[in-house]
Amino acid sequence: MTSPFDRRRFLELAGLGSAALALAACGGPSTGPAATTAAADIDFTNVKPAPSIDYWSSHPGQSREVETQLVAAFNAANPGITVNLITAGATYEDIAQKFQTAQSAKSGLPGVILLSDVWWFRYYMNNNIIPLDSALKLLSVNTGDYRDSLVKDYQYAGKQWAMPYARSTPLFYYNKDHFKAAGLPDRAPTTWLEFAEWAPKLKSSTQAKYAYMYPALAGYAGWTLQNNLWAWGTGWSKDWNITCDSDDAITAMQWVQDSVYKGAWAGVASKTATDDLAAGIASTTLSSTGSLIGILTTAKFPVGVGFLPGGPKSTTNVCPTGGSGLGIPSGITKEQQLTAAMFIKFVGEPANAALFSSATGYMPVRKSADMSAVLAKTPQIQTAIDQLAVTRVQDNARVFLPGADQEMAKATAKIVTQQGDVKSTMADLKKTLTTIYERDVKPNLKG
Amino acid sequence: MTATEPTTAPVTGAIEPPGDHPFSKGNLIKTLVGGYLPLLLATLVVFLPLAWMVLSSFKTPGEIVTANIKVLPESFYTQNYVDVTTTVPMARFFLNSTIVTVAGTLIKVTLAIFTAYALVFVRFPFKNAIFIAILVTLMVPPQVSILPNYILVAGMGGKNTLWGIVLPGLGTAFGTFLLRQHFMTLPRSILEAAEIDGAGHWRRLWQVVAPISLPSIATVTLVTIVNEWNDYIWPLIITDRPEAMTLPVGLTLLQNSEGNTGAGWGILMAGTVLVILPVLVIFAMLQRYIVAGLTQGSVTG
Amino acid sequence: MALPNLILIATFAYRPLFANLQYSTLNWTLGSETATAVGFGNYVEFFTSDDAPRVLGTTAVFTVFTVGISMVLGILIALALNQKLRGTTFARAAVFAPYVLSGVGVGLVWMFIFDPGYGVLSWILRGVGMRSPEWFNDPQLALTMVIIVYIWKNLGFCAVVYLAGLQSLPSDVMEAAAIDGAGPVRRFWSVALPLLSPTTFFLLMTTMLSSLQAFDLIRIMTPLGQGTSTLIYEAYLQAFGAYNRAGYSAAISVILFVILLLLTVGQIRFVERKVTYS
Repeated sequence: MTSPFDRRRFLELAGLGSAALALAACGGPSTGPAATTAAADIDFTNVKPAPSIDYWSSHPGQSREVETQLVAAFNAANPGITVNLITAGATYEDIAQKFQTAQSAKSGLPGVILLSDVWWFRYYMNNNIIPLDSALKLLSVNTGDYRDSLVKDYQYAGKQWAMPYARSTPLFYYNKDHFKAAGLPDRAPTTWLEFAEWAPKLKSSTQAKYAYMYPALAGYAGWTLQNNLWAWGTGWSKDWNITCDSDDAITAMQWVQDSVYKGAWAGVASKTATDDLAAGIASTTLSSTGSLIGILTTAKFPVGVGFLPGGPKSTTNVCPTGGSGLGIPSGITKEQQLTAAMFIKFVGEPANAALFSSATGYMPVRKSADMSAVLAKTPQIQTAIDQLAVTRVQDNARVFLPGADQEMAKATAKIVTQQGDVKSTMADLKKTLTTIYERDVKPNLKG
Repeated sequence: MTATEPTTAPVTGAIEPPGDHPFSKGNLIKTLVGGYLPLLLATLVVFLPLAWMVLSSFKTPGEIVTANIKVLPESFYTQNYVDVTTTVPMARFFLNSTIVTVAGTLIKVTLAIFTAYALVFVRFPFKNAIFIAILVTLMVPPQVSILPNYILVAGMGGKNTLWGIVLPGLGTAFGTFLLRQHFMTLPRSILEAAEIDGAGHWRRLWQVVAPISLPSIATVTLVTIVNEWNDYIWPLIITDRPEAMTLPVGLTLLQNSEGNTGAGWGILMAGTVLVILPVLVIFAMLQRYIVAGLTQGSVTG
Repeated sequence: MALPNLILIATFAYRPLFANLQYSTLNWTLGSETATAVGFGNYVEFFTSDDAPRVLGTTAVFTVFTVGISMVLGILIALALNQKLRGTTFARAAVFAPYVLSGVGVGLVWMFIFDPGYGVLSWILRGVGMRSPEWFNDPQLALTMVIIVYIWKNLGFCAVVYLAGLQSLPSDVMEAAAIDGAGPVRRFWSVALPLLSPTTFFLLMTTMLSSLQAFDLIRIMTPLGQGTSTLIYEAYLQAFGAYNRAGYSAAISVILFVILLLLTVGQIRFVERKVTYS
């Protein structure tokens, strides 16, 4: 074949291209100065709820069935209004991807969206979600009956940006049979140092490959390692100061690395740490309370749960909260927003909160949720509820910096799967996190 | 296989090994080791993972989440398949995938034939530039176009619709390219004869060019079918309702977020069997044509 | 006649291409209504940060290994298939089968096989006293894993194309070489392989283009791109992953497009100069 490529033809092509460029200019963002006015409260007086909205969920903690049930109950209780339950992905990230694509196209937005702890702040910064205060007031939602720490998680600039829904904390899970075989007390260790003493016993007296399994790094490292960092007296950050390269942090992460390499009693899960526990590969692990019901049904042995262990610097308040809440997009009509608020109110009602909690193991978000029936069946949930009193607000670096969670997972991977140097890895992480803060967050902070 | 290429005489059969008596012992071993062993190995490497998928789809969660794996399932456990069909509308996914594939392929192939015909047999200015412009799009990765295309298609109301899934992929560079290359090899004399008969472009295309180009058109069709059926990223973005999803997208619905436990694998494998098996069956039936078709472009191009 | 196709191509391939060009000059958070113009800032950032060596390195490793191994194994399998033996038709079909399967399905099946806890691979390794490598946690192993699966899926294409090439070799040349006393190995190196060079170039070009655009397997097997962030996946992650940097993502897309274009033009020129003698 003769060459279709020569210079003159490329010039013709370039002409064609510039025509297409003109065509491309429509759509996309405007390049004016960023809107700096803080979102005003929306006035919902005389607004009638829209007849139909979508609710985007990823069914966290195998909640597809109970969510279907809740949505059906809402539709039955509100004749003329339909909420459609949409599986918008398998993970929080999938939902976020869909939401932001829809946001850019300004079409196809849901009425209610499930937002995880690391996503809502970004939506707030982008003006993608509305403050809920006026709607909650209009619908006389008893916010005082929600668990305070969970509600506070979504407050920023004096406004409420989401309401708690599938809220979790990490929980320490252990194989009671293994503990008995190793002659250990039937409880979670009080500190990681205590567990380091237990670990060799667990390894020598059971079939388990690992005494402890670190949860899969993606999605968990940034979250659960806060426990270690706090126990060693530091954190990923203090307010907006990144502290992940402090001496305490390096000691903490060095301990983590040693548990995998030097002590060789800990492993790192590649997918689901609770599966490793259920299969008897690991004697203990850390996982979300949202895994509780799942693990209880899969494991063929008695499963014990306990508070997260402390460390050399602090032994209490070393547990982060986590999970997801519900928010309302700004790009939809007031009518739709009102229906959305009604739905958020509905799923938060004490009976429904209890139902959701019992099906998944997530926290009952309401103080008055009657958990007696649930606890009779699954007493382990009580531990999760008790631990709520000693939780600590997550580090800004993890929840407010876009992509920070991934960066933390990457740094951790370097430390625990490639035996990378802890000090330099954490120094690099600090550099990355600082860049993200300076570039993506600081300029967008209003008020 | 290369019958459409008139200049090279296809040579079937291999190079004869010279010398040796065909039935000698040494020759037999040579045939086994040098001939069958690699073939067997290659076949096993392909089939074992697929066999594992099928076996696992019949295992209980307990048989999967265990350190002591057994090759065969303990019993014929079909709950995974039941779970697949109750959690997601599998039949609907099949229907959608079929509609998208059939409609998409028909339109794409027709457009490709038209374009290739015009590029070869119709006189118009900037023909080569246009051809290059079409070729260049082969290098625009579809993932790159997601956001602009989403904004456009969603704005047109194409979200959660089958036409929304099909539309952006209809413009076809690959098919056009392949068919153009083939049309170039057709002897001009045939068309000139038709032209003298007074046949217009329309008749010349359908009565002369298309019939003698059937193998190439079949190639383009098969490639398009495979691509449409397996397409993932665009349908994933443009649909969020199960009613509008295609099989690959629906399959990912079976994955779960926070709190996924062992049962997941069995269900996922069952879902994958339902997606992969029909394709394998059809492939087995048509493999001669598909293999010949998909590689034909290479020999002529 | 060609118009509908041209309009579609202009709308759904060229318009996005130029839209991307425009986005690539913006500091634009996906989902945000406003953006600030930064000129070439995104490109400067890519090439001056750690991203360039990381992403370009991953892309190079992925492409070189998938293309190289597929082609070498492809021709070996083609030679095995090009024998007068029973069952070659079946073997040919078998080897080719993965090529027509859904990348999503293939990715899921192999994820399960590679799973260090319950994967059949870890079970086999344990049987011989080895510990399963951390396929998903260790970035280098994750890349290795994706390369293996990609080759598994696409090898058949190379094999079958080479087979077609082998079968269209002029028989008289091969016979003449055999009569000259050239052994099978020499016949392959000095006669068959040079004659196959058009096929080799065709394969080099097509497999390289598809490797550079490999997406489904990476998305399914390593959704966070741990060690597997090739240009195309990095572009996807930057916009739709955790970062939402649509402008930066568009810049990476443009870089990928330029690389694809240069490779293609370069290869075509090379082919014209080198292969036409045959």
